[in-house]
Amino acid sequence: MRVVANLIMLWENAAMSVRSILSNRARSFLTALGVIIGVASVITLTALGQGARVSVEQRMSTLGANLLIVYSGEPRGTSLVRPRTTNIRPTLTGEDLALITSLGEELVVSTAPESALSGQLKFRTRNTAATVIGTDPHYPEIRNFHPTYGSFFTSADMEQRRNVVVLGIQTYRDLFPDGADPLGESVRINGFPFRVIGIMEEKGSPSQDASAIIPFSTYRRSLSGEDRYAMINVQATSPEVMYELQDRIEQELLSLRGLPSMELADFYVANQMDLIGTVTEVADTFTLLLGGIAAISLLVGGIGIMNIMLVSVAERTSEIGIRMALGAKSSHLMTQFLTEAVILSAGGGIIGVGLGYALAWGVQQFGGLLTLVTPEAVAVAFSFAAFTGLFFGVYPAYRASRLDPIEALRHE
Amino acid sequence: MITLNDIRKQYSMGPTTVTALGGVSLKIDSGEYLAIMGPSGSGKSTLMNVIGCLDTPDSGSYVLAGEEVGGLQRDDLAEIRNRHVGFVFQVFNLLPRATALENVELPLIYRGIAAGRRRREALQMLEQVGLADRVDHLPSELSGGQRQRVAIARALIGNPSVILADEPTGALDTATGLEILSLFEQLNHSGVTVILVTHDHDLATRAPRVVQLLDGTVTSDDRVGNAAGRSSRQPEASRCE
Repeated sequence: MRVVANLIMLWENAAMSVRSILSNRARSFLTALGVIIGVASVITLTALGQGARVSVEQRMSTLGANLLIVYSGEPRGTSLVRPRTTNIRPTLTGEDLALITSLGEELVVSTAPESALSGQLKFRTRNTAATVIGTDPHYPEIRNFHPTYGSFFTSADMEQRRNVVVLGIQTYRDLFPDGADPLGESVRINGFPFRVIGIMEEKGSPSQDASAIIPFSTYRRSLSGEDRYAMINVQATSPEVMYELQDRIEQELLSLRGLPSMELADFYVANQMDLIGTVTEVADTFTLLLGGIAAISLLVGGIGIMNIMLVSVAERTSEIGIRMALGAKSSHLMTQFLTEAVILSAGGGIIGVGLGYALAWGVQQFGGLLTLVTPEAVAVAFSFAAFTGLFFGVYPAYRASRLDPIEALRHE
Repeated sequence: MITLNDIRKQYSMGPTTVTALGGVSLKIDSGEYLAIMGPSGSGKSTLMNVIGCLDTPDSGSYVLAGEEVGGLQRDDLAEIRNRHVGFVFQVFNLLPRATALENVELPLIYRGIAAGRRRREALQMLEQVGLADRVDHLPSELSGGQRQRVAIARALIGNPSVILADEPTGALDTATGLEILSLFEQLNHSGVTVILVTHDHDLATRAPRVVQLLDGTVTSDDRVGNAAGRSSRQPEASRCE
């Protein structure tokens, strides 16, 4: 019976609050505006942060899936994309490559050695500088970098050291500005003639787009004269085994060299997971920071609600007096005004969520930035808003419930 | 049904202490119609607040419907007001944004009564005060007399032990005031206990029993012979001490 009466009271409070909010629409809206903006900005800004994270992850995956790169030289950081890929003194041997390949198919999908140097390409009267990459036929698969026209070279090309080249898209544009079909044309690289067999897709990275890719065998014989590799690309079977694989490669290559630890090594292994980890960590920090700033605006919105609720209590003193005379208890008035504050803030929260989605969509549609609204951000922003109303509604509601009925009735 | 025994109440106004009630004793039976009269400052507002359980006396005992009200807390007083007292005020005191029906329902909301029954009873009360066709009007859309009728319906709805009317005609013109007054009389005939608080002699003397208050004490308590009769208008002096 008591429970039923309480439920009825709660419902009545909600109805009364809605009526009071609606009877003062403009003010209610302005009161809730702080919360609306707060919630919308939390959602939009965290959506931007998470969007940045996702787009970085996407960019990472364009490097190739589950990629480890064994580099020649002393370890320096974990960067997968090095500022300079050409003219590294190569220290990795065919033996190293064979060793890595032999780690087994439960760890390694495939491997592709790679060396590069700056070359001069010439077609008829046109000249361009390009990164000349010597590698093997596994390269497109591992680096997720495929020919868009024509084809990549084959194992047969590799074995017979054919002078064939696949041009990076920028290199192609430089040499064939009129867009002519290059297949079968002869291009000179550092003076040696190469037959064009394909054009690589656009990657947006200068070292890949301004490139010319040739079989490693040809590269060694004609251009570098060096049979060691600058780097070895390794594709792992799954993200889970990447650290294990990195460990195995380091151990095997160290023992091959008779070296005790990586500090003395003439190679190092860059792990895609490290890079993704670092980048997503940065994006998450960014998200948290943006969310925090937005949360401050929510707090300010809450204070706005308290302010208006105090005004409202003062304005409605005689209403409070009437209610008290008719038998409203402190708890009735407390819940009435609390409900009003919570409905204002939760209502503002709902509008804010809608606005946040709209803004995130707008930024992506018209601002060209990837945004991702996460359910967590929505839940946190909304419940924070509702809680703000509850928290900042307590004091005004308490004031209302403690008024002296006689004074309140006499008011006005 | 209402028994006040030596009720005292003092207020401190700055350095001075004002005695609002200096030992008031009064007994009101169920079904009575009584006017409490006195000039302003006589303590009649304080007495009304005490009887209406809006205020508690400093000393003395007040028993309302068999319950000692003396030492009760705010929330208990609220509950007693809700169950036993129906207020009618000079300035109507309706909620401006609620319709006539919603205003009348209000006491039942605080009693925790479900919407359907509340609505039924409120409609019935509005009908009783002659406002069956005004249920959905806001107070601002009603005349003064109609507003006071809404207030009376609201006072009646919980079936309270007593209707406490504080200058109920004060904000009305004479004709409307008389209408309201005859509504009270009519209600009293059907068994409702009515206490009228006024400073208006003509108004008070329409009641079968008139209690005069001056400086916080009862100076006279006059009863017209037959409780139902309103024929006699001159007060008969008979001190009740």
